[in-house]
Amino acid sequence: MTDVLGIYNYWIYVVLMMIGLYGVIAKPNLIKQAIALGLFQTGIFLYYISMAVIDGGTAPIWTTIEDGAQKFQGPYDNPLPHVLILTAIVVSVSVLAVALALIINIKRSYGTIEADEIERMDHEDRLSEFRAGQALDAADDAEAHHHA
Amino acid sequence: MTAIVLIDTLLLLLVTVTAVAIIEVRNLYASAMLTSVYSLLMALVWVNMHSMDVAFTEAAVGGGISTILLIGTLVHTAREEKPRKRRLDWKALLLTGLCGGALIYGTFDMPRFGDPKAPIHHFRVPEMMAQTVGFVTSRAGKQAPPEGFDPSAYRSFNGAVASVPADPTDTAWRETSILAQHGIMLPKVLGHASHPAAEHTEAGHHQHPPDDFNGHVPNSVTSLLAAYRGYDTMFETTVIFTAGVSLILLLRRPRREGYLQRSAPLADQAVLRVVTKMAIPFILLFGLYVITHGELGPGGGFQGGVVVACAFILFALIFGRPALYRVLPPPVCDLLTGLGVLMYSGTGAACLLLGGQFLDYSMLNTLSPGDGEALGMTLVEYGVGITVSMVMLTIFNQLAEEQSK
Repeated sequence: MTDVLGIYNYWIYVVLMMIGLYGVIAKPNLIKQAIALGLFQTGIFLYYISMAVIDGGTAPIWTTIEDGAQKFQGPYDNPLPHVLILTAIVVSVSVLAVALALIINIKRSYGTIEADEIERMDHEDRLSEFRAGQALDAADDAEAHHHA
Repeated sequence: MTAIVLIDTLLLLLVTVTAVAIIEVRNLYASAMLTSVYSLLMALVWVNMHSMDVAFTEAAVGGGISTILLIGTLVHTAREEKPRKRRLDWKALLLTGLCGGALIYGTFDMPRFGDPKAPIHHFRVPEMMAQTVGFVTSRAGKQAPPEGFDPSAYRSFNGAVASVPADPTDTAWRETSILAQHGIMLPKVLGHASHPAAEHTEAGHHQHPPDDFNGHVPNSVTSLLAAYRGYDTMFETTVIFTAGVSLILLLRRPRREGYLQRSAPLADQAVLRVVTKMAIPFILLFGLYVITHGELGPGGGFQGGVVVACAFILFALIFGRPALYRVLPPPVCDLLTGLGVLMYSGTGAACLLLGGQFLDYSMLNTLSPGDGEALGMTLVEYGVGITVSMVMLTIFNQLAEEQSK
């Protein structure tokens, strides 16, 4: 039982990451995908922070001053993962902001934010371009034939 | 141990349920609000794991700014996902199942949660806590070790012996000898009564008043952020700056005439107006406090910057963006965005000019290097704070301007 609890956090990190990954793959809505990417990121944050914890530990901040020296208050959690994740969270909001700006631009030019509809419209565009090209080629051929 | 694990277990279950709901709910507004709930739950998880700075950031960024940005985008994109015939994508489910299975298989080799014997708790934790890691300078190498230096006294908090070799010319020794140079009494910090190396420095002129932290930074997270990972933090600030610039490039258009004219849909709400006016000074003060206090307790430039941005956003929401533009014109906002990054790198350059290495804050005060470090870190935190708050505000403004079309 203690063994399961010992790696429970790591299981949850996997679950959160996979929920995020599923969202990115399966949801055609672009905003949903941006949110799912955020879930994926928090999964990784959980992994890092879980590693930093130590039994009986406390936050890595010196607090007690007695007789001019900081008294040792017991083990401290490792501060390095905290630092890494602190900046990662702020970077993740930057990623979200840029993603949202791109989504707004997509909405402006396509009128929709569903990935499959955008793909279909792109496909139709290419198809109509191809047909127009074919028609031009046919006209050229006909002209050449006429001259011959 | 048990209390932590119990709370942790319950919170993480809640988090997982919320995550599923975020992905599966069709209404995008509901999804955005659930993201806020998710972030607040996550902040509780971080607090439970003693990661105060991360909790603070998550609450401010995830619970606050992200939700505002999401809703700001939803207003002019779509309220709901398009209905689909199939709710579950079996192929994606299979793929994520396989991937997750492989990762879970990998977790069986992980050290157990909170295990003091885990490798992570033995890598430079004492140096990180004493804030000496990364202080390898050319000055340090030239100094002979103090007489009677006993490497075994440099023990980690968690019982492991820090890797200090017997050979004093080794790099690791140089790192610890900097302790003596900076007047940091690590053995005292560690709870040892006295140590030859400490006495050696106590006799020197680097002595600090006994009632401070030896001029050092009590919050190890801030110290690592600004010193050990100073370069990374600088470039992460640049990443945020780049995000702000990208948003301006992607969304900003020439402003129409009269964009400063009053239009405040909520300004006739007397209660909102009065409460906002009363709250904003305190929010700003709190933001500045968080930035300034970052080295003493949880907080710092990132969190404080977001709090300051929230004050401006609240003002814009209640009194209208034109009012905000009169208080803080967009050109000023753009300039301040760059100024923050400049302040960070400028502090680094100042250290360089004073004869040290880039971002070697101790150069700012040669008589008391610890105070120099505290000063440098405060400057850097303010740089980060200015950039973060102005970028968040720019992002909000750009998304909101789009909305008014």
